[in-house]
Amino acid sequence: MATSVAAHHHVGAAAQYQEENGIWSWLTTVDHKRIGKLYLVSALIFFIVGGLEAAVLRTQLIGPNGKLVSAEMFNQLFTMHGTTMIFLAVMPMSAAFFNFLIPLQIGARDVAFPRLNAFSYWIYLFGGLLITAPIFFGMAPNGGWFGYAPLSTRAFSPQHNMDFWVLGLQILGISSLAAAFNFITTIINLRAPGMTLMRMPIFTWMSFVVQFLVALAFPVITVALIFLQFDRFFGTRFYDIAKGADPLLWQHLFWVFGHPEVYILILPAFGLVSEVLPTFSRKPLFGYPVMVYSGILIGFLGFGVWAHHMFSVGMGPIADAIFSLTTMLIAIPTGVKIFNWLATMWGGNLRFTVAMKFAIALVALFTCGGISGVMHSSPPADLQQTDTYFVVAHFHYVLFGGSIMGLFAGIYYYFPKITGRFMSEKWGNWHFWLSVIGMNLTFFPMHLSGLYGMPRRIYTYDVGQGWELFNKMSTIGTYIIMLGTLIGGINLIRSWRSGKIASSNPWGAATLEWAMPSPPPEYNFAEIPLVKSRYPLWNMKEGQTLVHETTSEEEGGIRIPSAKELHITLPNPTIWPLYCAAGIVWMFCGMLFMETSTATALGVMMSGAAVWIGSLYKWLTTPLEDAH
Amino acid sequence: MTAPTIPATKLENSGVGHGYTTLGLDNRKVAIWTFIGSECMLFMSLISTYLIYKGKSPQGPYPHSAFTDATGHVFKPILNIPVTSFSTFVLLMSSLAMVLALAAVQERYKVRVGTWDKILSSSKLWLWMTCLLGITFLGCQAYEFTSFIHEGLTIRTNLFGSTFFTLTGFHGAHVTAGVIWLFTLLAIDYKRGLTPADATAVDISALYWHFVDVVWIVIFTLIYLIE
Amino acid sequence: MVGMFRPRRFASVALLGALALGLAACSTVYPNTTFGHNSDYNASIDALWDKLLFLGTIVFVGVEVALIYVIFRYRRRPDSPQPKPVHGSTTLEIAWTIIPALVLIVVAIPTVKTIFRTQAKAPADALQVEAIGHQWWWEFRYPQYNIVTANELYLPIGRTVSFQLKTVDVLHSFWIPAMGGKRDLVTNRINYMWFTPDDSLPSMAVNGACAEFCGTSHANMRFRTYLVKLAEFEMWRKNQETEPAFTGVVPPPPPAAPAPVKGAKVAAKPDSAAAAVAPVVADRPPVWMFPADQIEAKFGYTIPKTPIPGDSVGTGALNGFDDALLANGDATRGKNSAGVCLACHQFSTKIMPGFSPLAPNLAHIASRHTIGAGLYPNDARHLARWIKNSGHMKPGSKMYPIGKGQMDVNTGKVSTMGMYTDAQIADIVAYLQVLK
Repeated sequence: MATSVAAHHHVGAAAQYQEENGIWSWLTTVDHKRIGKLYLVSALIFFIVGGLEAAVLRTQLIGPNGKLVSAEMFNQLFTMHGTTMIFLAVMPMSAAFFNFLIPLQIGARDVAFPRLNAFSYWIYLFGGLLITAPIFFGMAPNGGWFGYAPLSTRAFSPQHNMDFWVLGLQILGISSLAAAFNFITTIINLRAPGMTLMRMPIFTWMSFVVQFLVALAFPVITVALIFLQFDRFFGTRFYDIAKGADPLLWQHLFWVFGHPEVYILILPAFGLVSEVLPTFSRKPLFGYPVMVYSGILIGFLGFGVWAHHMFSVGMGPIADAIFSLTTMLIAIPTGVKIFNWLATMWGGNLRFTVAMKFAIALVALFTCGGISGVMHSSPPADLQQTDTYFVVAHFHYVLFGGSIMGLFAGIYYYFPKITGRFMSEKWGNWHFWLSVIGMNLTFFPMHLSGLYGMPRRIYTYDVGQGWELFNKMSTIGTYIIMLGTLIGGINLIRSWRSGKIASSNPWGAATLEWAMPSPPPEYNFAEIPLVKSRYPLWNMKEGQTLVHETTSEEEGGIRIPSAKELHITLPNPTIWPLYCAAGIVWMFCGMLFMETSTATALGVMMSGAAVWIGSLYKWLTTPLEDAH
Repeated sequence: MTAPTIPATKLENSGVGHGYTTLGLDNRKVAIWTFIGSECMLFMSLISTYLIYKGKSPQGPYPHSAFTDATGHVFKPILNIPVTSFSTFVLLMSSLAMVLALAAVQERYKVRVGTWDKILSSSKLWLWMTCLLGITFLGCQAYEFTSFIHEGLTIRTNLFGSTFFTLTGFHGAHVTAGVIWLFTLLAIDYKRGLTPADATAVDISALYWHFVDVVWIVIFTLIYLIE
Repeated sequence: MVGMFRPRRFASVALLGALALGLAACSTVYPNTTFGHNSDYNASIDALWDKLLFLGTIVFVGVEVALIYVIFRYRRRPDSPQPKPVHGSTTLEIAWTIIPALVLIVVAIPTVKTIFRTQAKAPADALQVEAIGHQWWWEFRYPQYNIVTANELYLPIGRTVSFQLKTVDVLHSFWIPAMGGKRDLVTNRINYMWFTPDDSLPSMAVNGACAEFCGTSHANMRFRTYLVKLAEFEMWRKNQETEPAFTGVVPPPPPAAPAPVKGAKVAAKPDSAAAAVAPVVADRPPVWMFPADQIEAKFGYTIPKTPIPGDSVGTGALNGFDDALLANGDATRGKNSAGVCLACHQFSTKIMPGFSPLAPNLAHIASRHTIGAGLYPNDARHLARWIKNSGHMKPGSKMYPIGKGQMDVNTGKVSTMGMYTDAQIADIVAYLQVLK
């Protein structure tokens, strides 16, 4: 690394931007790129928290009759591991990319509603803290991330544990829904001229599908949670088995949300990988239209397969058969994606950066998870596999092997764009190989322990059941993943501070976001571009070379004008979205006092509502930007 | 103004300026449609739950049939169709008023001069009308809820009570939010007058209001009319 | 640059290591395997699984080999030409839409067939068993024989058994991995499942477990299934349908069986009802349970080896117990003290219609191999500690401590219900140990 040159350039670059960096500027920011960074950092921290929870779980299970934690603590930990990873780590990590990339990829200055965007982030953060904090007091949710009624009702869960879960998930739902409305509007309405739908970068397409899934699936779980909240706090009877309630109501509502949620978690990673593979293969994405349609089809079919999570509840052979067939159907568009990725690389000019390696790992590992998924799309087989470690193996191949690998690919790939610096390839290789080895060592044996009869969610098992070796392997694998993640984390921090300076298009990629300096100025595009092809930065004419990968030296010394110089009006920073989010979360917290004192509860809720409505008023009456 | 240099590749300037949107629509209008789509799923879940639990309560009171409890107390069929038919009519009329309010803000009738045109062009009048009809609807719902509670059906009584009050209560909350929204528009109207420039702001509140109205038609049909 | 290759070398070493471990795994015994053809049900699932595994492996190997080929073949080299900007191929894409569809049809047809075959109605003459889930133990009822038992299930080999699955509280899931798929126990619903233990099986013991998360002690909601020859089953059930023999001084009437129930059953089962009314020891059928020595020799995994928490032996410590006292336990005294158990436990083997007791049936507790829903072996040492403070022995246990001065783990306070000294508990243990 040519340190002196890089450092010199960095000084130059920093002088060009003069971005405010104080804490207040972060609290009040409405810039989608900054919000994206906030999402990324928060999600990574929650990822570490969720990973540490998993480490405790695995250490408890390293041998039979483990004594590290109590049954109660174990139940809290696995509930929180699932909840944290899904709602606080993977979804927000995807949101980081939505925020950072969508406006850049479609040629926009910002999202449609910049302040709503800030609100989405803050309410996610506060909701996440509300749901996470109780673990430190042994009061964390303990009914599983799926919160099956009636176990989650007051009758069987009298403590506050599940209250945090019920309230926290509703708050996180507000965040996701607000973001979904925002991004749908952005993608529909803020595309640069010439950016037709079928010219949109594939990541934006997959995000587009995801936003629809969020907008349509989250209301359903919100209703399920409202019922549970009413049951727990106001004595309604939705899940009261003594009054004839049907526990399957919860399961249906939950999985009508829960299955689309799976695609909410995986499609952004698919999108990222579909950006990374073409760039490092120097070939356009194979079958772009089919990739788009298969994404839409996966999202659409995702609403018709929920009951495959419920084969064991006894829905009867006809329902079992129907949901089995729809589930198998979804394997087809998913398979097409895998084959198209292979075809993208076929005949290419592959460059194995760490980003590319993570992307290839997604193709390799998701295939494994997809195949085990088809295995339990067959109900009779599922009846042996469901609620065993086989299923744990399956969805970790999909979520770790799929979502996390894809998101890590995205981080290594977009880090130069986000920060203006490269992540270290050397550390990145260690991160990659340890993650892949650790991941396989952790989760592959789980297929076997499941098929050899080990149920999920057990905090202990007896000796002589034939599960010891698999569990030891899984636990050691977890430690290897932790080591890999540690290296990845150090790499991220080091590179953010002092990584090699990156140029605007260091990988020679094709899409709009690489047309801007790295990191992009606060206004993104000095002039809104006119888009004429799907790969505006690649010269696709026969016989001509593709754009070459630029270096920061080549780009050195270019002065980037400020927004003021360009007469670009940008939204003003504002604190009200943050206060608004805080007011709502505070209002929700009031519910926690319902049991002890209605007066206190009402007081807290009223004060929260006052903050919320007051700051909402200020928000709505403050103009978005200075008049021009 | 110096043109900025875009390092990697020079892209063509599209020439569009501030406030450009792809569809030429206001962002708020696109957003309200996505919001309404999402709300459809919310009400679908609430209505489905009501229908799934319909007839599943081991104990009354019931919506359409009498019930005698262990002490011999007889509960009448609890739904009051005439009152609800009236409130449904009121809500439908409020949608009409909303249409006229929007037209008034868009100044559709301003060019004409008759008395009737003057009435039609008063956005304050039609906003007030919409609000009052909405409030009348809420009054009917309050009357309905209190009379149910007097007759012995609360949100805690049975599955019917829980699903009924939650579903109609959520709808009522939406109407309330709509009324508050309309009052804020009225406040602006009194403060500085609504002009065609505010048409989108009124338009999105109208879309919301009509949506809430349509949801009520569905609820009224499925819960009140079909036994 | 060299540094980049090091992790990859490390990776190949790790892969070899994993393979070696995998081979080592092959030599282990898997008592809870789902691959045994112990029943028709499990055999049809396994047949389906074989197809899935076969096709899945082909697809997996196909994709991964193609991926590895691409990785090595198309690696960027200094002299590599610019790749052709291929945008797609309709033919290829149609092909890899249709081929997976065909593969899925091959899976779907046997799947649907198996669904309908395994979920058909059970034959009418099947052995009926009601499995009722409780937090965190299993109640088993044999309505044809008017038997209630808990946590240990006896099934005759070769006879179809038809389960009715219910729960009195939260959701559970009934699962005997060696015998077939699981089925959830759903509140306010009844689920069904049936299978026929294969004719060729020897008498054997297998484990079962709750597979749906059901709260604190979900992991400790296990049960045992004994697959026995028809003749053995007959011996077992004859003993079970007879009230337990108590050879103490006071010949007891069955404590918890109310009179109307017995009356109602006279018409259906005159012999067993008569036995219930007058348990004359001399006329009792012989006691038969799955022989302990066979279990130890062949099915050792069914004997729980859960360590006693804290494993303290002194009398004062929480859950500690002076084992010397157990030798002096007197069953007759114990029977008198055991009145306290009646609050929750049933000492009659008969089904009480419409009523599911709060705690496991104790009528024939001494004919079981485990206590605490398969958590501990059924011996004096464990029984005594269980009675003294079961919450300490099993997290979340709803049985309050019987031992004097014991802390109730669930409330964190000294239990006001605990009133027995270790010596008295030893008496109760002695009593329970004669209830065969």
